[in-house]
Amino acid sequence: MSAKLDDLLLNDRGFAFDAVDGESYQLSPTALQLVRWMQAGDLEEAVLLDRLMDSYEVDEHTARRDLDSFLSTARELGWS
Amino acid sequence: MRVAITGMSRGENPQPGAGIVAGIRAAYPQAFIVGLSYDALESGIYVTGGPDAVFTMPYPTVGAEAFLRRLDEARAAAPFDLFIPTLDAELDLIVNLQTELHERGIRTCLPSKVAFQRRMKHRLADLADAANIATPKTRAVYSVAEAQSEAAGMSLPLMVKGAYYDAQQVDSIDNLRDTAASLLSQWGAPVLLQEIITGPEFDAMGIGDGEGGITGLCCIRKTIVNKAGKGQGGATINDPALTELCRRLIRELKWKGPFEIEVIKDETTGQHSLIEMNPRFPAWVDFPAQFGTNFAAALVPFAATGTAPPPMPDPEPGWFFLRHQVEVLGRMEQLAALSGSGEWLDHPH
Repeated sequence: MSAKLDDLLLNDRGFAFDAVDGESYQLSPTALQLVRWMQAGDLEEAVLLDRLMDSYEVDEHTARRDLDSFLSTARELGWS
Repeated sequence: MRVAITGMSRGENPQPGAGIVAGIRAAYPQAFIVGLSYDALESGIYVTGGPDAVFTMPYPTVGAEAFLRRLDEARAAAPFDLFIPTLDAELDLIVNLQTELHERGIRTCLPSKVAFQRRMKHRLADLADAANIATPKTRAVYSVAEAQSEAAGMSLPLMVKGAYYDAQQVDSIDNLRDTAASLLSQWGAPVLLQEIITGPEFDAMGIGDGEGGITGLCCIRKTIVNKAGKGQGGATINDPALTELCRRLIRELKWKGPFEIEVIKDETTGQHSLIEMNPRFPAWVDFPAQFGTNFAAALVPFAATGTAPPPMPDPEPGWFFLRHQVEVLGRMEQLAALSGSGEWLDHPH
């Protein structure tokens, strides 16, 4: 997990505060869940994909689309 | 404890004094506080919990003799033995009066003259080099003509800064000429031309122990910045790179006393760039005091004893402040007393 991801302070409504650079974000419910899983140590894409399909009862195509979108943004922000 | 403090205005361009008074009151409820003001309309004079006595002071430009004479008059009427000056323009005079103040039994917590001068705006690039810190390309100019010729070698837009206060962005040579003329006439020479770095702005406040260490540090990201570049809101952060920048700077200067360090993080390179270092607390000094990191309270024993206080804990990230304006009220009799005799001794608390 990146240090930046570890430094994010979260609340249950999806508000995220980066304690290092002071930036704040509003996460979608799916992004919030993904950040929490990643903070807990689930970093493998395949694991995250399975957890998305299980938790939200969606097909692989939908889960893959959401995960790719999140990971792309996370990379831009230096979270992964 | 009896302490004198300057910089009581909390209006449009707030000064640190009123926040320092609040911090000291919170830690030392029995303190006797003398407000030294340059204008009877400095709003912090009139707040509940404000100074116990107030004296108007001559502007520092009148010189040391008049300044010390007025300080003696104030002490004769309302004795104090600690003095916390908070304004850049007066500090330029007061750092040179430390012997005179000491002889009077007035204790301060101020940097050496050399350290004070090294952080001045027109010498900031040399200081940044010595501390291995990035800083924007800056030129000091002493006339409008020199401003125009120097700007020819820089790219517009530029920031144009007064010697003590004020910074304005200019995007044309005409604009540069007018702004430089205005700042030269208001604050004197030099005026600084500084390249613009785009990115989020950060601010750090602390106390240097005089031996190269820091006894307390609070770093914020400015979350709301007004047109004049002043932070109207901020949030505490814990950025090891920014903390290291502050430590390097304070170590290089062996800075003693309060400081404010202003930094921009270049959005393209991610590098922190030093914009200014001020020889005082910022106006938001009482923000961390409200969650338990009281810099004004820590400064008092340091000034009184000359011994740096133990290191203060790092503020927890995630606290934020918003600047909040309120109306304070006074009676015309109070204003008349300050405007007439220049003193007001019976502040009702």
